[in-house]
Amino acid sequence: MIRRKHTLAAAVVVSAALALTACGGEAPASDLSSVKIMAPFLEAQPPTADGAVQKKLEELTGKDVNITWTPNASYEDKMNITLASSDIPHVLVVQGKTPGFVKNAEAGAFWDLTDKLKDYPNLKTTFPEVQQNASVNGKVYGVYRGRNPIRAAVMFRQDWLDKLGLKAPETTEDLYKVAKAFTEQDPDGNGQNDTYGITIPKWGGLGTNSPYDLVETWYGAGNRWAERDGKLVPSFETDEFLEANRFIKKMVDEKLINPDFATFDSTKWNEPFFNGKGGIIIDVDSRASVLINLFKQANPNDFQNKVGFVGSLKGPDGELHAHPTDGYSGFLAIPKSSVKTEADLKNVLTFLDKLNSKEAAVLINNGIEGVNFNVVDGLAATIKPETPEGKAVNTDIKSFAQLGTNVTGNNFYPVKQASEYEQKVFDDRVAVMAKDLKSAVYNPAAAFVSPTYVAKGAQLDNIVADARIKYLAGQTDEQGLKDAIKLWNTSGGDKVKEEINKLWQDNKK
Amino acid sequence: MTAPVVEAKASERVAAKPPAPRRRRGFAVHFAHYKWLYLLLLPGVLYFAVFRYGPMYGVSIAFKDYVPFLGVNGSPWVGVTNFTDFFANPDFPRLLGNTLILAFLNLGIAFPLTIILALLLNEVRLSVLKRTVQTLVYIPHFLSWTIVASLSFLLFALDIGPLFQFVNGLFGTNVDILSDPNWFRPLIVLQEIWKNTGWGTIIFLAALATVDQDQYEAAIIDGAGRFRRVWHITLPGIRSTIIVMLILAIGQMLNTGFEQIYLMTNALNRSVADVFDTYVYFVGITQGAYSYSTAVGLFKSLVGIVLIFGTNWLSKRFNQSGLF
Repeated sequence: MIRRKHTLAAAVVVSAALALTACGGEAPASDLSSVKIMAPFLEAQPPTADGAVQKKLEELTGKDVNITWTPNASYEDKMNITLASSDIPHVLVVQGKTPGFVKNAEAGAFWDLTDKLKDYPNLKTTFPEVQQNASVNGKVYGVYRGRNPIRAAVMFRQDWLDKLGLKAPETTEDLYKVAKAFTEQDPDGNGQNDTYGITIPKWGGLGTNSPYDLVETWYGAGNRWAERDGKLVPSFETDEFLEANRFIKKMVDEKLINPDFATFDSTKWNEPFFNGKGGIIIDVDSRASVLINLFKQANPNDFQNKVGFVGSLKGPDGELHAHPTDGYSGFLAIPKSSVKTEADLKNVLTFLDKLNSKEAAVLINNGIEGVNFNVVDGLAATIKPETPEGKAVNTDIKSFAQLGTNVTGNNFYPVKQASEYEQKVFDDRVAVMAKDLKSAVYNPAAAFVSPTYVAKGAQLDNIVADARIKYLAGQTDEQGLKDAIKLWNTSGGDKVKEEINKLWQDNKK
Repeated sequence: MTAPVVEAKASERVAAKPPAPRRRRGFAVHFAHYKWLYLLLLPGVLYFAVFRYGPMYGVSIAFKDYVPFLGVNGSPWVGVTNFTDFFANPDFPRLLGNTLILAFLNLGIAFPLTIILALLLNEVRLSVLKRTVQTLVYIPHFLSWTIVASLSFLLFALDIGPLFQFVNGLFGTNVDILSDPNWFRPLIVLQEIWKNTGWGTIIFLAALATVDQDQYEAAIIDGAGRFRRVWHITLPGIRSTIIVMLILAIGQMLNTGFEQIYLMTNALNRSVADVFDTYVYFVGITQGAYSYSTAVGLFKSLVGIVLIFGTNWLSKRFNQSGLF
């Protein structure tokens, strides 16, 4: 740790030194012929500056684009170091409303875009509630990067379900029945009692869209915050939270859930499902495709009907409380120290507007038509066999997609799936998610940043998150869980509630 | 006939030494004389200046409310608020307790084991066997903590891990060792022993090689058995090495090892697993409280320095041999 901090400090020293040298060359550039961007990359290699995608992007936007690709793992550290230096990009991909970002924003590091985005046709969002979610107490500090808000799904072994003659679960009670049948009725037919219902990995954090969070929302506990008697309370202070956890605990006690749920490595999550040990996974719907692919790789002739899935489940009250995410994954912010005047800002925003045009969206998400994909029935079909040029484009877009904002919806082509079955599953997924979107329970406090929460929210939430796992594992009883919630309040949670409610009231006016 | 030669040599030596009264010129002469040696020293000095002392100015953020955008110099000073907040934090006693308990367990169990293993290896007479064993016990040191943790997770996996079955069979229990708070500390110490005991023997084995062999012969003639010889000759022979290693180990005591503990922590054992190192990571990196976590880290370093000087002073008081 100490060493890590030293490296950080050393980097600060070095960047400070660079800053000193950079000061000499600073000229008033109002035309901004070249736009500097800092963005993360998740692939093994960042795209090269002379790649076809970048050239095309420069053509479409009429600017020299200069992108600093930074490894995703250390992105926030690097971002903070960059902000402390003088060599600051014009556009900065920020990965989330982290306490570090909020502090920087409140110290005046970024342009407030609240009243500006509406002047740009491609930046004027068609999802104002998501833009509100991405704001800091109503102030929009960046163009959010849109993500499908509905992703929650229950995936199960379709072959097991068929064998036992069961129906796909629709309610949480159905989930219990299926999990029980998967555990006790020998769904794999090997005559041994060696299966269990649901696999849950080590994933305890509050409000991280974990399986626990999903079930709580389905039970009606809200999504992080819930309105009760005209006030916002944290989800874990609702009665439904306790009911949901009693329900999960019942499944743990009856061994319908893997007993090592507190320690099970999440990177191995697919294994019990694939190997026929645990038949249900509660996670994002895209995992269904990953699972299908596993079966396909193992046996290309028989992979259909192994994986079934449904969206959010109805709670005990018979209502569907679908669990959405906040609908964004960070944003593109514009630092004030590199973009100094309103004229410059307009320039950069015009660039971002072009970056979110249909042509650019297709370029950074699908690639270049005729080189790596063709449009077939409104879908992007990857050209096979891959040419070397096509391969380069395919690799580059995986990183360039990080620059996509899609605040007016996805303007690029959905990818055509490899087989008819996979295409059907994909279409089903889209349909299920569209249905759930109507019943989505959004986090009413997503936009609000409470100072106390910034200072110690992570520690506070850990109190309840750990107690939840302890309760489920039987290390503490329900009273222990309630005590932990009380401790959350007395350790600073009271203030968080007060601040959030005040922000909520002020914003309603 | 030999005396003048000796005298001449002595006078040469005197001449080479700079005379005390003319210090300034003396230093120049001294420097000119040893310039190549100083040149050799330069990379080391530069290394420490650039990578160790230079970054220390960053420590000043412990006394500031650091905002990356404002920079180290631009962030406002807040005095010792970060420190008082930390000491007043209800987590503080727990963190201190967890850190100290792990530190003392490591010092009390893992450290003596290193010496015992070195003594055992030293008693092996068959040199092929000795070298083979030595190499084998060094290997775990080169595995990263990530691998050690993964191995532990496999070996202690609930219901199916071989060590899970062995340990629970031994005690007639059925606990999940990986998440049971009572098993956390034994597990950490066991990992530490498995990984680092062999490697730690290197210095002791080197020290053991310097023990005067004549003394053993004399002791054998006097009729001393193996344990007598270890107790009265070997151990006193390597006493100063043990003390130096002990002082160094105590200085490192609060560095409980971030990676190891971070990898073994989960929601069920966090109450005993949280130590200063993981806390600094959690608060500093995930919560963006850079100033606060720097203050915690600084406090830890200060305790480390106090411990080093304290042990050194104690060791000097008792037997006149310390680290410095």
